[in-house]
Amino acid sequence: MRFGISYRLHFRYSEAVFESQNEVRARPRDDDYQRVLSYTLISRPEVAVLSVLDYWGTTVQHLGIRAPHVELELVAQATVETKPHPQPGRAPALAALSDEKYRSDHFEFLVPSAHVLWQQGDLVEQRAIAAAAKADSVEELVSAVVAEVRSTLVYRQDCTDIGVTLLELIAGGEGVCQDFAHLALGMLRSVGVPCRYVSGYLFAANEADSGFVAATVQEDLVSVQTHAWIEVAVPGWGWWALDPTNGVEVGEHHVVIGYGRDYADVPPVRGVFAGSAVASVDAEVVISRQSTQNQQ
Amino acid sequence: MQQRVNSPNGLNSEMFDGYDASRTFDEAFESSGMARGTYQRIIERFAGLDAVEHQRLESLVADEFRRQGITFTVYSEDAGTERIWPMDLFPRLVAAAEWDELARGLSQRVAALNCFLADFYGGECEAIADGIVPRWLVVSSSGFERNAVGISVPHRAHCNIAGIDVVRGADGCYRVLEDNLRNPSGISYVVENRAALAKVCTWLFDDHAVQPTEQYGQMLRSTLESMAPSGRDSPHIVLLTPGIYNSAYFEHAFLARAMGVELVEGRDLVVDDHTVYSRTIEGLVRVDVIYRRIDDDFLDPVSFRPDSALGVPGLLGALRAGSVTVCNALGNGVVDDKGVYPYVPELIRYYLNAEPIIDNVPTFMMWDADQRAEALGRLNELVAKPVGASGGSGVLIGPHASQQELHAARTAIEAEPREWIVQELVQLSTLPAFVDDRFEARHLDLRPFVLTGEKTEVFPGGLTRVAMQRGSMIVNSSQGGGSKDTWVLAREAL
Repeated sequence: MRFGISYRLHFRYSEAVFESQNEVRARPRDDDYQRVLSYTLISRPEVAVLSVLDYWGTTVQHLGIRAPHVELELVAQATVETKPHPQPGRAPALAALSDEKYRSDHFEFLVPSAHVLWQQGDLVEQRAIAAAAKADSVEELVSAVVAEVRSTLVYRQDCTDIGVTLLELIAGGEGVCQDFAHLALGMLRSVGVPCRYVSGYLFAANEADSGFVAATVQEDLVSVQTHAWIEVAVPGWGWWALDPTNGVEVGEHHVVIGYGRDYADVPPVRGVFAGSAVASVDAEVVISRQSTQNQQ
Repeated sequence: MQQRVNSPNGLNSEMFDGYDASRTFDEAFESSGMARGTYQRIIERFAGLDAVEHQRLESLVADEFRRQGITFTVYSEDAGTERIWPMDLFPRLVAAAEWDELARGLSQRVAALNCFLADFYGGECEAIADGIVPRWLVVSSSGFERNAVGISVPHRAHCNIAGIDVVRGADGCYRVLEDNLRNPSGISYVVENRAALAKVCTWLFDDHAVQPTEQYGQMLRSTLESMAPSGRDSPHIVLLTPGIYNSAYFEHAFLARAMGVELVEGRDLVVDDHTVYSRTIEGLVRVDVIYRRIDDDFLDPVSFRPDSALGVPGLLGALRAGSVTVCNALGNGVVDDKGVYPYVPELIRYYLNAEPIIDNVPTFMMWDADQRAEALGRLNELVAKPVGASGGSGVLIGPHASQQELHAARTAIEAEPREWIVQELVQLSTLPAFVDDRFEARHLDLRPFVLTGEKTEVFPGGLTRVAMQRGSMIVNSSQGGGSKDTWVLAREAL
């Protein structure tokens, strides 16, 4: 499928700020399942943008505005073509998770990270172990843990902040897409399954509604937020992408920006400014489905 | 049985009365009590003093340090945290040939570590692919800085200023105890020790040709100049300090003055269009090289710790743009990690195709089940160190530990084996140090400094630290240690 994506961030400051410095991660990546046909980042005030690949292979764009300003508008515009993901190969036996080289290769995705913290014996691990008890294969184990996350959390827009802990999520019983992803990562890692956080865009009526879109949506334009999901390293096969918020495998409606251990490795925007102003931000992602019939 | 030194070389002096050179390798005296050749004349000089005269000279040196404001900071105490820098007058002497060998070994080690940092952060990761160092160990290091990946470093010299801590054991052999490739401090004391000793005890130098130390500022400056981004002739260098509350602030000010460069704090720098500028009374001046003495995490609040007020917003973008060089490079903490230390001899063989000239202290890796079992079985004879420790904190010395302390250490190691190494106890070598009214043998170590830019140079000597408590092996100044001037002797003695 081909999508036109426009991700707009509009910062407003209560008084003039200056020496603002920002990092943006909004460009979709090129990989086996998606191809970026065009991408631009527009900044008002207009400044030079430096684009580089970070450690994770995500495009990061640095930009700074030294002169005083009362607003900053960033618009990332991309055209992306996606393909469906294949099904994971024959489900490997659980013993494959213990392979030493496999664990060393994926070590960063097996251990706690800034937003994916758990401890031996805590509720995160207990629930994961209980959910995984009946699984006979890696695929079954992952599906069981994701189902456990979905029975633990109810989706509610804007219900949490990024600093929330996994135990707070379990106690609160609700979350947004980052929370579904982080809790799934914590549970999977606690039972020895390497997995990573994915930041991206989802073509759906809202971020918890991909099933609806895939089945019946007739509209060709949606207005949403950035989305988050996970990828699991399946031994002998590769990365298996799942969307815990929606309970579906990731497909051609998902557009990847990048991945990391958790949100902190791939935040859409991060910045500082000088001045004592109060900042507010409007963020919006508009995705339009485009025809590809004449583009053979 | 103790052997005593009564009158070295027939000199009738009370200064060395009862000196015990037999506990371990003494650098000045053989265990028989005979002075070693290198030290013969210096011992005669000190033997010719009496205690009162020696104390008078010590107080002159202390006055000199006080006048110059040469102090160090002890964080743990409530009051009086600034202390006058302690120096024992009896210098450490290193013969020319011995120094040459040691310097070759230090250059070799730092070269291999620089190869590893360039390999790892450059993205090739060949040493990991070839199985020299396990990937999981490196990526789990708290010193691994992911933002350093992909920043191009001139001459692939990631560590421009290294402080390698070496010790000599009972066999007299030098061994590396610890690598410091982030922000090693102490060089200012090396220079000031020499300046004070030469001023107060000029006559001490009469019999020896000693390699000078006052050129450090020039050496450092030319090293840093060679690190400027290409095309930047006459580079503008600044020294970035966290400010006056940092324990090494004295050294930051000292080095900026010695190099003739600006001493700046984060707020004195600003990034515009991915280029770093210094705010001066003549307007913004472009900065090419930043000798930073602040930790990685604090360098840029955009990309690192958002609460850091010490850094420069946008600095990472400027580094990624290649418009400025930060020295030392980001992420060197990965090799300061004591978990990586045991692999350094293999890294030397791998990158340089040579045998290590200076060995490691024999080390057990706690994440290896067999080595762990062996080490924990005789922990009471060994030394356990947290992999991230510095300044001697958290170190357990087996023979000095109680049963409870040993038990607690075993439990901690079993719980988090990646966080610990265990080493054979090194009986540090000794030298005479003046205690009360005579010389007694005290344990010491040495931190030489290796500078790497376009070329590598080992600064002659280094910081000799000495444990002033009898029998103590803790040489850190924060824990009551003293220092000595370190003399590298020129080839032709007078």
